[in-house]
Amino acid sequence: MIMFRDITETISKLPKLAIYLVFFFFIIGLTGPWLTPHDPLIVNLLEAGVGPSAEHWMGTDHLGRDTFSRLIASARTSLVGMSLILAFALTIGISIGTLAGYQRGKVEEVLMRMVDVGQSIPSLIVALAVIGIFGTGYWNMVLALAIAWWPGFARVSRVVAVNVMNKPHIESLRVLGASPARIFFLHLLPTTIGAVLVYATADAGALALSIATLSFLGLGIQPPTPEWGQMLVDGLPFLESDPRQVILPGLALTLVVIGFNFLGESIALNRVPKPLSRLILKRRRFETNEWIKE
Amino acid sequence: MRKLVIKRARNAIILLFLASILCFTLVVSAPGNIAILIAELRTPGASTEAIHIIEEELGLNNPLHIRYFDWLSGVVKGDFGISYKTGESIGEAMAGRLSTTGTLVAGGFAVGFVLSFVLGFAGALRPYGFLDSLTRSVALLGASTPSFFVGAMLIYAFAVELSLFPTFGFVGPQSWVLPWITIGILPASVLSRIVRVGLEEAMSKPFAITARSKGLSRNMILLKDSLPNIAPTYINALGAQAAGMTVGTIVIEPLFAWHGVGDLFLQGVRFRDFMVVQAGLLIFVCFFIVLNLLVDIAVIMSDPKLRRQGGQS
Repeated sequence: MIMFRDITETISKLPKLAIYLVFFFFIIGLTGPWLTPHDPLIVNLLEAGVGPSAEHWMGTDHLGRDTFSRLIASARTSLVGMSLILAFALTIGISIGTLAGYQRGKVEEVLMRMVDVGQSIPSLIVALAVIGIFGTGYWNMVLALAIAWWPGFARVSRVVAVNVMNKPHIESLRVLGASPARIFFLHLLPTTIGAVLVYATADAGALALSIATLSFLGLGIQPPTPEWGQMLVDGLPFLESDPRQVILPGLALTLVVIGFNFLGESIALNRVPKPLSRLILKRRRFETNEWIKE
Repeated sequence: MRKLVIKRARNAIILLFLASILCFTLVVSAPGNIAILIAELRTPGASTEAIHIIEEELGLNNPLHIRYFDWLSGVVKGDFGISYKTGESIGEAMAGRLSTTGTLVAGGFAVGFVLSFVLGFAGALRPYGFLDSLTRSVALLGASTPSFFVGAMLIYAFAVELSLFPTFGFVGPQSWVLPWITIGILPASVLSRIVRVGLEEAMSKPFAITARSKGLSRNMILLKDSLPNIAPTYINALGAQAAGMTVGTIVIEPLFAWHGVGDLFLQGVRFRDFMVVQAGLLIFVCFFIVLNLLVDIAVIMSDPKLRRQGGQS
């Protein structure tokens, strides 16, 4: 119950608009396949480029695919892509950053230089270069964006790890005879994971934008899978006759990015005191108290 | 100050070196044999011997460190090798396209710089007033809208509906307006917030209150005394935005059918032309590292505390 109170407390401090937008995006992304009135992939040239009607709420594109269904299906594509990329990037970033923060000295120097090089190059360029070497495709895009994103996470987790390592409770643990593995996995890692997850939320908007940008350039999500950036570029040649095909996916994408940016900005302004890390620390404190009693 | 600058420069050189190794390993680790690709390009259906000759020619059988230094000495002279697709020299192709990209970035830079001060000042004149909330919403919208969507909307409104500007192409100043605005909106939005927040912070400092009590008008203090205070933060953000704009060229050049360096890099990525990808990546990375160094130096120069203090940072 304590956990739920913490989460609701945190959410109540965030701007309402951002919460609604992101929540809406998640709901649409998760329930997409049951919401679409038509199959987003079915081509029907007889009904190509028709305007809004009771049958097609937002009209159809140049191949007669239902625009409304495609917009909804795109949310899922975006959400799944984001989750996969974040999972990979967070795993690499947190392991390397935490290791650097734990094992100071030479190891840290080498690891952080790698991060420096990675961070000196904008993520989109890194992603494009990786795609240029390995070719286009869904998994290559995921790999490319994960490679582009981990250095930021590594830097944040290192800062958190160094902070935690300087705290007295780690020293007390050493005195109590805790093994390095215990300190690393049970005391250091959970704290960094919590803090970096919050940071990742702030970054999710940029990630959604990158997926769309790569798809817009024809290097990300490949047709026929619907994706906002790719729908937009599909509609560009028909800008004059049917601007709806450009405006609708663009608006959808912008709303999602605004939601995440809003969320990220308020997190950056420290309105949220690292909810997850606080939770975890609370549990740890309880645990150490138990030890002291023993 | 000099010590500080030298330290930053040394770090930049180390980064450049590491980045060049990164670019090199990226292509070396690429799947597929480069010699076969080139042989196919020269004569379709090339024999094994022809492939061996090309391998010798490119020094592909040499140890890695020798290949690296051969490649690096070529790069320093501006020789990036040849493109597998077109067979032309990448260095020459890049040089021919630099002016297009330069026009785009310079124009976007000017738009971002001017607009950021206009929006930022408009907000700071009367904090939390109508103009402030208006500029804040504009900035939030500008910072969150994808640049390709902004570009598409500008084309639709000003080129298709109003026919004021050409829809695409690089044909004289009239065709430059829309790309400039497209690329300049993001930096303008982000930087206007920096100006606005920085000015408000400076206005709450004791010196501003002293100036106010001496009878100076608020707008005068805003312009003359508070403005230099935001310089270090602003320059830092400006550097980050300049880097962002360079990335933006990759997206915006194809949208307006401009043939610049970003477009060349994108073609390289599309056709998996490793040499072009490598050259483009190296050029972008060098540009970012040098830009970061310049920003660091400019920040040190603009901050009196850092300027006077010796080596410590």
